[in-house]
Amino acid sequence: MLLAPSRRAGYNSFVPSVSQSIRVKVLFFGRLKEIAGRAEEVIEAVDGSTIEQLFSQYVTRLPELARYRSSLVASRNQEFAAWDTALHSGDEVAFLPPVSGG
Amino acid sequence: MATPLHEDIYQLVREPINMAELARHVRAPEDGATVTFDGFVRDHSHNRPTHYLDYEAYESMALAKMREIGAQLHEKFAIHRVAMVHRLGRLEIGQTSVFIAVSAAHRNPAFDACRFAIDTLKRTVPIWKKEYFEDGAVWADGELPPAPAATSRAKPAS
Repeated sequence: MLLAPSRRAGYNSFVPSVSQSIRVKVLFFGRLKEIAGRAEEVIEAVDGSTIEQLFSQYVTRLPELARYRSSLVASRNQEFAAWDTALHSGDEVAFLPPVSGG
Repeated sequence: MATPLHEDIYQLVREPINMAELARHVRAPEDGATVTFDGFVRDHSHNRPTHYLDYEAYESMALAKMREIGAQLHEKFAIHRVAMVHRLGRLEIGQTSVFIAVSAAHRNPAFDACRFAIDTLKRTVPIWKKEYFEDGAVWADGELPPAPAATSRAKPAS
């Protein structure tokens, strides 16, 4: 589960109980970078969020991403990862479009 | 220069690839064959004239995946050295985007390994190209790398 705006407001106040919150680095490539308008960012999520839930959070922000979900693979810390992989603080996540090197 | 794993070379570069130097690097007195693959920019795509290509990569992961391919080559084929270099950024028609050289005592493993290397690179290394045409640009159709379908909840995350 990801931080709802109300939780985020709590986080930004001086309430010290932030133990559930993690920070992950998210990278965008190819057309996703163009849709996101950035190559990377660090965002907050609830500890134990999956890559799928993280993607859903982006779809809320950028609905155009939804149509690409079936043609993406995910990675966590430079390894291909299943969408139900749980995230931990400091993880580096990327949503990878079909590769076309060579 | 650091030469990990059998003095292999795995690189992402933004300058022209020096193919002769790489082919020379993999060659040794105990070898009898070198097979090289030179992939370069074609002047058309889907029947449209291409102006140029622009390559980008998830660099840290791409290098890790290239080294993994190298490890597989040494495991599967009786080869000696591997050089695998991919260029990034804007590439003009005819410029080399990827170069692979494999040396071996005998030609068959060198051919097989070189073929396996480029096929696997194209399928699994996170590199993308955008094709620029006279009237616009598109991200090239690519291949979806094989990835785990689901985690086994019984196993700890690695």
